[in-house]
Amino acid sequence: MSTFISNHNDGGPVAPDRTRRLGARTGIRAAALPAVLALALAACGGSGDDESDRTSEGSGGDSGSQEQVDLRFTWWGSDTRHQITQEVIDAFEAEYPHISVQGEFGEWSGYWDKLATTVAANDAPDIIQMDEMYLREYAGRGALLDLHTLDGVDISAFEEATVATGEFDGGLYGLSSGVNSFAILANPSIFTDAGLDLPDDETWTWEEFKELSVQITENTDDGVWGSQSFGNEQAAFTTWARQHGESLFTADGEVGFSEATLMSFFEHMTDLRDAGAVPPASVTAEENSAGLDQGVTATNRVAMGFMWSNQLFAASEASGHELVLLRMPSQTGQASDNGAYYKSSMFWSVSSRTEHPEEAGLFVDFLANHAGDILLAERGVPPNTEVRTEVADQFNPAEAAAATFIQDIGDEIAEAPAPPPVGGASVQEIFQRHCAEVLFDRMSPEDAASSLSSEISSAVSR
Amino acid sequence: MSAIGELGRLKGRRPAPGRRENRAAYAFLTPWLLGLFGITLIPMAAAFWLSFTDYNLLQAPGWIGLDNFARMLGDARLHNSLRVTFTYVLVSVPLQLALALALALMLDRGVRGLALYRSVFYLPSLLGSSVAIAVLWRQIFGADGLVNHVLGFLGGEGRSWIADPESALWTLVTLNVWTFGAPMVIFLAGLRQIPQMYYEAAAVDGAGTMRRLVRITLPLLTPIIFFNLVLQIIHAFQAFTQAFIVSGGTGGPADSTMFYTLYLYDRGFGNFDMGYASAMAWFLLLIIAAFTAVNFLAAKHWVFYGD
Repeated sequence: MSTFISNHNDGGPVAPDRTRRLGARTGIRAAALPAVLALALAACGGSGDDESDRTSEGSGGDSGSQEQVDLRFTWWGSDTRHQITQEVIDAFEAEYPHISVQGEFGEWSGYWDKLATTVAANDAPDIIQMDEMYLREYAGRGALLDLHTLDGVDISAFEEATVATGEFDGGLYGLSSGVNSFAILANPSIFTDAGLDLPDDETWTWEEFKELSVQITENTDDGVWGSQSFGNEQAAFTTWARQHGESLFTADGEVGFSEATLMSFFEHMTDLRDAGAVPPASVTAEENSAGLDQGVTATNRVAMGFMWSNQLFAASEASGHELVLLRMPSQTGQASDNGAYYKSSMFWSVSSRTEHPEEAGLFVDFLANHAGDILLAERGVPPNTEVRTEVADQFNPAEAAAATFIQDIGDEIAEAPAPPPVGGASVQEIFQRHCAEVLFDRMSPEDAASSLSSEISSAVSR
Repeated sequence: MSAIGELGRLKGRRPAPGRRENRAAYAFLTPWLLGLFGITLIPMAAAFWLSFTDYNLLQAPGWIGLDNFARMLGDARLHNSLRVTFTYVLVSVPLQLALALALALMLDRGVRGLALYRSVFYLPSLLGSSVAIAVLWRQIFGADGLVNHVLGFLGGEGRSWIADPESALWTLVTLNVWTFGAPMVIFLAGLRQIPQMYYEAAAVDGAGTMRRLVRITLPLLTPIIFFNLVLQIIHAFQAFTQAFIVSGGTGGPADSTMFYTLYLYDRGFGNFDMGYASAMAWFLLLIIAAFTAVNFLAAKHWVFYGD
């Protein structure tokens, strides 16, 4: 009977099964690549020259013959980012013909499962786009290389504070690839449809935000709402907690908020829903598994979405309108109380098991110091100050607006929140699930607050 | 008549093969053996060992005894995933088999173009657990999907079926029922094996259609029903792809489509809790084994082998 079962097997009760299958697939692809290259080279040759001579041709004055090196580079993001990143790879390969970089990319959802699988299968990509949430998770378990140990990576033009966001336990495990901030992306064309002006974001309160959103919902067609639900994203709560003088995690990795604050966060969320300021629960739930391009903001279904400042360009492209950045509303009507903070949008990390640390370092260096004119501010304002000044006039309007926004809020923001401890990777999922429970009225804000607190405490204490 | 009975007879009759034949047999079996050991037995054994460790994918596993199993007792999300999975299995499998049997009976009456119908009905079974169909399902039952367009056309009110915790699981049940083709084809084959003379004799005795169905067809078909039941239950317990794709890998909304396998995957690969996930995998194996054992025990009372 076992043959029958394995024919139908699509879930498999045995987890390592999956690792092995996924691992094997990428393994074959990686192994096939040099073979294909060798064939291609053999095909264009024919004059009997030494093979190694040809491969090192034009490698920028490097002496001697060089071995062909294949690197794999993985990132998540929108279509815009995929195109830009591929351009960087092409530019890098043009400068270092002996290194070829294969891009592996996808949406945020699914990215981390895939990464965990490949790392466990000893088949991790050489260069990894990393998020703050997972940085300690991977680095703390020895999966990432200390970038300080790589000669090729020059960080002299980076602000010390930015470098520090990827530094802990005496090593640099992620190099910041951009600075951004959690903010509101507003769609002026929907405001115009609703016959309303954009708010003054330096003085507005949550009360004003709610009134405005309700008005927009009422003044526009069905299927268009004032705002995206304020929840589902741990950054939303981080902001809310900071507005109440608390934080998600303390510096020593403990839970830094009170249940009362968390409860008020959930109550605020249902209040917006009941008032009609935000879409109903099912639209919000669909949002959880949608990529940026299908989200409510990018598809023009809300006038205001809660997103990261570096997403302004991608979201504007997808929506077909020029979106604008607004500061978060506050409890007090003062922008300096709105809880905003700078975050490294993402990091460049190198796998500790890479066979080519030197070349991987070259590539990270290229990303950090020489690709500014291609990357621009798509991953956030460049953290490399030299690059930032050099390419500022090449920013497209959306990127320039994001850079200005980051500059403008500089005086208002307080200290950055503490990075999540090991186990922090599950926080986002815990938030999304509890927000759904509350939005669908399956849990009261009070129950959700106590359940969420205890889940987070146990996630980070393990 | 039954595949299982047939196997037993073959085993008994087979002469002991010579050594050379043996070698040839193993040579031909090699691809299958590689799969059996490489992606089934060895990983299973590894998972068994890992289930007693705190393996986190990135570091060497450390022995923690029965801790993982003890944790399972107090894990509310695990209990929820069991509830979701049992609902899925216990609702979708009987519905699927009933539909498969009904259609097999209809087709067995000698409809014109039987081959075509058979293929068309069988198609969903081939595609049912594929990613493409799950993506399609997402579209059909989404807020802006086909179901809502039809409902809107009929004047009904639409909603996002997959994004509502009340209905999300039922879209997956529907998906499983829709893949009734595989058991249907097996039912059809079974129906073909029932000797015509029984029906002729019954007709002579004045038995009506219903009576012939209940007295002849169903009893003689019980081994096939049993076979399908066992297979489909096992298959349903292992369902993963559908829930993973339809919920975007989250088991959401609010854990309403969090199948056991999906939670297992989430623990292992999403939360670096592979030791726990391995323990869960072995527990699932025990559940399936228990279900199958109960099935076989109960079969003594209702399955009729005709000899």
